[in-house]
Amino acid sequence: MATEARDRIAARDRVEQRRRPAEVPSTVRDDSEDEMVVSFPEFVFKEFIAAVAMTAFLILVSVWLQAPLLGQANPGMTPNPSKAPWYFLGLQELLSRFPPLMAGVAFPTFVIVLMILVPFLDRNPSRRPSERKVAIILFALYTAIVVALVIIGTFFRGHEFVWDWGWVLGNPQTCGGSPC
Amino acid sequence: MTVIRAALDEMFAVIGQMVGSVFRHGLPLTDKIAARTALTNFFLHIHPVRVRRSWIRMSYTLCLGGLSFFLFIVLTVTGLFLMFYYVPSTSHAYQDMRDLQFVVTFGGVIRNMHRWAAHAMVITVWLHMARVFLTGSYKKPREFNWGVGTLLLLITLLLSFTGYLLPWDQLSIWAVTVGTNMAKYAPIAGPYTRYLLIGGRVVGDNALLRFYVLHVVGLPLAAFLLMVVHFWRVRKDGFSGGL
Ligand code: HEM
Repeated sequence: MATEARDRIAARDRVEQRRRPAEVPSTVRDDSEDEMVVSFPEFVFKEFIAAVAMTAFLILVSVWLQAPLLGQANPGMTPNPSKAPWYFLGLQELLSRFPPLMAGVAFPTFVIVLMILVPFLDRNPSRRPSERKVAIILFALYTAIVVALVIIGTFFRGHEFVWDWGWVLGNPQTCGGSPC
Repeated sequence: MTVIRAALDEMFAVIGQMVGSVFRHGLPLTDKIAARTALTNFFLHIHPVRVRRSWIRMSYTLCLGGLSFFLFIVLTVTGLFLMFYYVPSTSHAYQDMRDLQFVVTFGGVIRNMHRWAAHAMVITVWLHMARVFLTGSYKKPREFNWGVGTLLLLITLLLSFTGYLLPWDQLSIWAVTVGTNMAKYAPIAGPYTRYLLIGGRVVGDNALLRFYVLHVVGLPLAAFLLMVVHFWRVRKDGFSGGL
């Protein structure tokens, strides 16, 4: 049993080593000389710590912070403004600015397809940040736009989804009693 | 005396056999024992037996993929608990949520955990994607896994969105009305898509049931399958490791 297991480990190590160099882009640091460690318990321990920290964080937040529950759904009474969940507010923001076909359909489809194609569009073989300035700047720009749209949608859109400084001026708009 | 001694010995042997049948290799005090444990344990075999130290630096992955997966597990467990109390119909849903909040022991905390973990997962998945992008880890040979990841991001958003309707309060129904109205704008298929999604023209009983079924069965199943593929590919392509 012992020798069998050791053989299997050795065989796997050989496979991992054989596979890697050929597939790694040539401009990446060669890691084949790096120290090998067993993933259990070295790595599993780190994961365990991360999981425990996340659990503790969630329990703390959940004890202190009540999830919103407004009045019962009433199809006859539309709150104004009506807002999508925050991760869709970027889309809603676009919808308020551009024709619906463009903002609601063409644009999201384009972004999803573009994202899937990223590895094929980015012809630069390097993984070093210093050699990928264009890609990183584009990504930073994309992130900045998404974050800005979500923040605008969350905090700066009031009645009829028109611009509202209320949140900055200290009287945040509400959606039926709780902050939007 | 010897009879008792023999019986005790026998008992300890049986207990030893029981423990040994579960934990085959004892404490991982040496690399050899640890490696053998990793090879034979179902829950550990998701990892390679050995890794290079540079691949598992926390400053590299920031644990974000792992945390996304962990949040998915937390959501499954807390969601299961919520399902014991929640009936997806417009006449029950809201009252069930209030009961969870105010009557059921720990119901409020579990609901909060489910809610905040869902928000957290949207954020960790997004940040994981950012990490993968910024380290160029989508490059050959990991193009396919980036695509699988994109689908996972979409499904994470859809899971959150379908869950949003379930409390059946003013926030849910109107957020989902706004959200599904976006589908309407697609040429030709748009109105039909919306009709199919909410089972009618307005968000009502059919919409609630459809979102519920998608939220607790359809989308989690799809997410789970994609995660299995995602992890399998991470193993086969190798961790991208240090820059
Ligand atoms: C539910 C969502 C997801 C889960 C649970 C998940 C999980 C993981 C895990 C555990 C890893 C191992 C390394 C690490 O922890 O960083 C990983 C790697 C990877 N993920 Fe994800 N992921 C998810 C979504 C995504 C998304 C949205 C993308 C990109 C669009 C993506 C692309 C990748 C790629 C390319 C790798 C290989 C990176 C490397 O080897 O450095 N994943 N994923």
